[in-house]
Amino acid sequence: MKLSYLTDTLSYKALWKADNDQSVQQAYTSDLLSDVMGNAPEDSLLITIQGHKNTVAVASLAGMKGILLCNNRAAPDEMLDAAAREGISVFSTTDDQFSASYKIAKGLGLV
Amino acid sequence: MRYRADLHIHSCLSPCADLQMSPSSIVSRASSLGISVLGLTDHNTCRNLPAFDSCCRKAGIMPVHGIEVTTREEIHVLCFFADMPAALRFGKFIESLLPDVPNAPDLLGDQVYVDEHERIIGEIDKSLYSASELNFDQLFDEVQGYNGMFIPAHIDRSAFSVTSQLGFLPEMTYTAVEAVRIPCRVDTYGNTVITNSDAHFLADIGSRSWSCEHEAMDYQALKHILETDRLTR
Repeated sequence: MKLSYLTDTLSYKALWKADNDQSVQQAYTSDLLSDVMGNAPEDSLLITIQGHKNTVAVASLAGMKGILLCNNRAAPDEMLDAAAREGISVFSTTDDQFSASYKIAKGLGLV
Repeated sequence: MRYRADLHIHSCLSPCADLQMSPSSIVSRASSLGISVLGLTDHNTCRNLPAFDSCCRKAGIMPVHGIEVTTREEIHVLCFFADMPAALRFGKFIESLLPDVPNAPDLLGDQVYVDEHERIIGEIDKSLYSASELNFDQLFDEVQGYNGMFIPAHIDRSAFSVTSQLGFLPEMTYTAVEAVRIPCRVDTYGNTVITNSDAHFLADIGSRSWSCEHEAMDYQALKHILETDRLTR
């Protein structure tokens, strides 16, 4: 699934987007960053409500390509600065984690 | 005698803290600010306590040997111990409960421990940003077993606090609770509320602190002052 699926098909908002439209094979839903750090798969999208600069650090450490903030959670400027540095796209939606996970699973062809 | 305390400070060993935060620099800054009771609370480790202890003693500051533990729920809790050996034992125990996720210094920051002259002794490989295996209640019991002080950190903050992770402060008797803003908007069930700087940079030390009046200060006196809310307002 191309990350542009989030904006083009699901009409989610891109808060910061990498120049190249990256592909992800999987997604991981979690709000505990220590859990993401230990368990999230590489080349995936993080679905979370944790809008924090450390979310970017942990996603980058795990080799993830994008972050989707659910429930309309805000991304502080320092989070978006970190995202630009690390080349990790950040999106936001009013959907909760369950709905977003379902829609993205469809995009990934998993359901 | 009046004492000014700042119990929540991170040294260069915490990945998120500035490398300038060596124990000796922390102590000189605190000393210049008139802080007489000083706590070092690195994330999930106690390895900078020996240098901190010796710098404090030279400066005539009372060291409070601590650690900021990340529970399984990612709640931050300040834990303090009566002496350095107890704290070092506890720190080793907590490090052993961290998962084997390596630190990435470029992304998360350096994790170096130093001697009192700011010489690097070593580096911790595991990421201290991880969470320990203990949950909030288990950590409480472990700290009680050490006759330690258990102080939930920045309970009014929107990240890594009891309120952000659980939604509320569990109704228990704590040594005290720490808030960023006083008066604290969270219901604290009569527990003593203190505020500390949570300094990650030298300039932040003492930016929040608290005071008390007491004859002679030591660990037991400090614990008693906190438990019985004898702070100077």
